[in-house]
Amino acid sequence: MAVSAGVISQELVYRVAYEANKRAAIAVPKDGLAAFEKAFARETKPLARFVLGQVLENAKLAVADERPMCGDTGLPRYYVKVGNTARLEGGFVALERSLRQAVADVTHDIQLRANRVHPLTRRNPGNNVGVFAPNVDYSFEPDADWLDITAVHKGGLFGTDYRMLFPADGVDGIKRFLLDTLAEFGRRGLSCPPVVIGVGLGGTKDQCMRLSKEAACLRVTGDRHPDPEVRALEDELVELANRTGFGVMGVGGDTTALDAHIEIAYTHTGGVPVAVSQFCTAYRRATARVSAGGEVEFRDDPVWFTPYYRREGIG
Amino acid sequence: METLRPREWHLKAPLSQGDNGKLRPGDIVYLTGPTYTARDGAYRRMLVEGHEPPVDLRGLTNVTMQSSPAGVEVAPGVYHVSSLQATAGFRYAQYMPALLERFGVKAVISKAGMTDEVRQRVFRHHGAVSLSTVGYGLGAIYGRAIERVLGVYWVEELGISEAIWVLQVKELGPLLVEGDAEGNGFFAQANEEINERLAQVYQGLKPPVFRRIGEEQGPKREPF
Ligand code: SF4
Repeated sequence: MAVSAGVISQELVYRVAYEANKRAAIAVPKDGLAAFEKAFARETKPLARFVLGQVLENAKLAVADERPMCGDTGLPRYYVKVGNTARLEGGFVALERSLRQAVADVTHDIQLRANRVHPLTRRNPGNNVGVFAPNVDYSFEPDADWLDITAVHKGGLFGTDYRMLFPADGVDGIKRFLLDTLAEFGRRGLSCPPVVIGVGLGGTKDQCMRLSKEAACLRVTGDRHPDPEVRALEDELVELANRTGFGVMGVGGDTTALDAHIEIAYTHTGGVPVAVSQFCTAYRRATARVSAGGEVEFRDDPVWFTPYYRREGIG
Repeated sequence: METLRPREWHLKAPLSQGDNGKLRPGDIVYLTGPTYTARDGAYRRMLVEGHEPPVDLRGLTNVTMQSSPAGVEVAPGVYHVSSLQATAGFRYAQYMPALLERFGVKAVISKAGMTDEVRQRVFRHHGAVSLSTVGYGLGAIYGRAIERVLGVYWVEELGISEAIWVLQVKELGPLLVEGDAEGNGFFAQANEEINERLAQVYQGLKPPVFRRIGEEQGPKREPF
């Protein structure tokens, strides 16, 4: 059945979500490839260099063969940005149904690992769909009638941690916590470095965790926060992480972090919640925009952190 | 810049004692022959609950992989794997004595290898080696090396992600020798260097006002 003009059809949402998941599983986005190439070019340790060379080769073969880039295909999830005036056939309930269906179908067709199981019984439905799975997170954008769908297949059981600091701990506290997290998970490559580090700073505890993951997964390498103090700290954290010398897989090497992104949120005056997430070597993300007219455009940069999303005032 | 490549071996499974004797930590191995996957579910069923394995694993090969491939049933009883990768090995340390003893395993492929203690006590005793996938996620490269899925067992009992997959592989690699048959470990050496650097990067950063339980063990120790 045709939908009225300016309404985004569910059939299209399904197709775009399907394609986004397929791309995420298989193809390292351009910004990721560039970062891996840079790491390879500057690596001075022979074993680390050999492994980084293999990572680049793997990225090529995955695309050539249409195979998932890592045998652990992670947990498929979505970030959906909705234009304020976008109209969806069947509304958000239909949207979520399409998104869930796409994960189930891609799991079968691309042969993703069925990773999602019941946490107690370990029952596996076999399609990466279940209670609260896949996650769907939303944000909104003013003066827009389009729909952005980003699929992320985040890998790594490990690599994420949270703690509450006191304001007196300052930047030292943040740096130490990052080092603690890297030391805990980077040594045997539990987090599979080189990683993109995402730091959530401030907000409430749950916000802080969420922001750290979004910072790790939804900003392209090289991107910097608009706040000059935050962006300076981003540079410092990359440098700090790389001075540890864990390197790829923790075998000892020059690049442990491809980049570091920090997202801040206003927080309780008495504390500094901080969370660290790590986007592993399986750098899996794909974004597409569906216009109100039904055109579809895939792009590299999710542009998730818009000025509106990070807004400070009331409006 | 050092351009040295690691030493490289192309070996056939089942592995011979001679094969294992040649390998040193940091070497790279490519394996051809049969192997089977096993992880939490299969270990528990075979080694804790005492079920007989669904096929004669010991007779088949002496190489096992701690993995759950990304694969599906394409027709009833016919399976295909797209991508392959191993999971963190240290968490299965408790199962290694029984696994090596009962199934005659001589090589365990994991992600990042075994604990020092198990490598020295169990692997050395059996002349077994611990191999690690690299990357760690070279799923497409490892997936390509699968020539055939010989069988998938215990899908009903354990679910597809914990089942035993018997695979015929060709030049499965690169795999890093993480532990040799004499108990020497790659990460034990690599960590010494890293720990020195780590001590330097922590220098000058004041510890937080409020510590967390367990934090005092220090960042040099591996937390397992
Ligand atoms: S952490 Fe990432 S690269 Fe490592 S095994 Fe998991 S998905 Fe693959």
